[in-house]
Amino acid sequence: MSGSDDESPVAASAGGPAHERRAPRTAVAPLTLIRQVLTTREGSIVVITVALTVYFSLSLSVFFTTSNFENLLPYFAPYAMLAAGEVFLMINGEIDLSIGGCYLFAPLMFYEFHGGGIPLIPCVILALIVCMGIGVFNGFVTAVLGVNSFITTLGTLFTLEGLTLIVSHAEQLEMPGAQVTTNSTGNHITSFASAFGAGTYSELFWALGIVLVMQVALTRTRWGLHTIAVGSNRIAAAEAGVKVRAVLIRNFVVCSTLAGFVGILEAVRSNSITPDPGAANSVLLDAIAAAVIGGTLLAGGSGTVVGAMIGALFLGVLQDGLAIKGVNADYLDFYLGVAILVAMLINRYVGRVRRRSGLG
Amino acid sequence: MAEDTLPGEVIVAPVSDADDVLRVEHIAKSFGPVTALRDVSLHLKKGEVLGLLGDNGAGKSTLIKTICGFQKQDSGAMWLKGEPYEPRSVDHARSLGVDVVYQDLALIDELSVYQNMFLCREERVARLPFLDRRSMKKEARAALDEIGIHLPRLDVPVARLSGGQRQSIAVARGVYSDADILLLDEPLAAMGAKEGAMILELIARLKKEGKLSMIMILHNYVHVLESCDRVNMIVDGVITFDKPAAETSLEELTEIVVDEYRRARAAANAEEVAEAAEAAVLDPE
Repeated sequence: MSGSDDESPVAASAGGPAHERRAPRTAVAPLTLIRQVLTTREGSIVVITVALTVYFSLSLSVFFTTSNFENLLPYFAPYAMLAAGEVFLMINGEIDLSIGGCYLFAPLMFYEFHGGGIPLIPCVILALIVCMGIGVFNGFVTAVLGVNSFITTLGTLFTLEGLTLIVSHAEQLEMPGAQVTTNSTGNHITSFASAFGAGTYSELFWALGIVLVMQVALTRTRWGLHTIAVGSNRIAAAEAGVKVRAVLIRNFVVCSTLAGFVGILEAVRSNSITPDPGAANSVLLDAIAAAVIGGTLLAGGSGTVVGAMIGALFLGVLQDGLAIKGVNADYLDFYLGVAILVAMLINRYVGRVRRRSGLG
Repeated sequence: MAEDTLPGEVIVAPVSDADDVLRVEHIAKSFGPVTALRDVSLHLKKGEVLGLLGDNGAGKSTLIKTICGFQKQDSGAMWLKGEPYEPRSVDHARSLGVDVVYQDLALIDELSVYQNMFLCREERVARLPFLDRRSMKKEARAALDEIGIHLPRLDVPVARLSGGQRQSIAVARGVYSDADILLLDEPLAAMGAKEGAMILELIARLKKEGKLSMIMILHNYVHVLESCDRVNMIVDGVITFDKPAAETSLEELTEIVVDEYRRARAAANAEEVAEAAEAAVLDPE
């Protein structure tokens, strides 16, 4: 974004007459409009996702159905939530790998607290407080002690995954409050379970809510503005009075907490706590992939939560579509990798077009 | 006072007036082995424009960054309107009425013009956490219009603007921040003659209004004599010259600087001679 390679047409008009500055923007030609949509940060991934959906819908009769949409949700909603937190840190120019650890560790903490006789909802809150503590630790080590966040959170990731294995003895556990009872009218779950992940649209509602809150926070609040400032130019932000360390620590806390929350939702949905670091690592990488595909740069300074959600949707559509098509599971990672590379190249190209057109 | 005064150097003692808004006394600041400020004392009267001159590396920017709360001095004290002044942060200093325009401008490339102008003093909708973008844009527009800088749009990232436009945004941010003491670190550095004249005109206008007191680092002596009430010169981390602008002249200021060069060259020569002598002693053929 901060490329200074091309000259802007807006830059040259200092001292122009006042009426030129307030040119009416109503008469936008359709082509210009299309270009404007395409050159928003989310534009390219929206187009790619729609194209992919159309392709699968035309080639697979079962794809564009409610029941398939329900199948697709678990491939999409958790990643949208994880990526929402990750986007804030990536805008800061940092990264949080420990979301895989929190994702794995939080349900186990929930289980342990519940084993201690604490009711379900307070258990969720306590498990999330543990995750906040992890975020504070990541933030402190990165922002105050100055350790690179990749290293800090790599350490936290392995530590948490190891702790999960130690505490659980690497055995699968049943998630408290998520048991399914079956009687003559069918399967029933508790209202706790249906609210926290097991209800068909539960994760979707959580994801939409969290993405909305985070996107508004990013674009309409002081916190978001300062997050962008810290990521774009840390020294200038500090000089202007932004509390750089506080911003970083806060974003690490939000990221860890969201990851723990998603871990709990997923454990409730699957009615099990599976201490499998391999699965958690793959969740972590998919979430980062969603953010990157959605148009957030690892270099920091810019990003979008909505874009990351659409990136997650893209990954969900891709995985679900390929699965229905009967594509060998071995090909999934290959396609995912190609998709990330293509999306990055398109983002780069679109970014250049955007700079040229002066749309910022 | 510093004990390690260089030969031929006169340190100006702090003079204080009853109507000083800012007093800086015996400030010292080092960065590891590098001493930026040895012993700086200065004062600023209400409504006064103080020009700060000095060579690159003399400590001007360090002094500004200390007064504005960006960094803490190692020793020495400051007073603001008669009260002890110990800024904890830039934000804290700003809340006490001290604002700054940095030499590097401290603009965020990714943020828009109005977002930069209101960074860290954002306006919010009622008491909600949401930013009042319309009001900030309106005020930013009014401020830039008053200076005479016309930008077609205020919602473009500042990365897209010219050097002079960026600098005017940084100056506008400082001037319209409700501060009563403004520190300007080379506010004309990136500007062309036309934009520079606009800023000098703005400073003259603010001086006439008399509400704002300013410390301004400038390189151009003509600008200093034109815009400032008083001139201080800082050499090697100490203030060596303090005179009202009306009592000094282009010739005197130039003479001082030439003198300084002469002294620096003499010192370098002396060092060379000493080194040569030392080498001769250590290695007597």
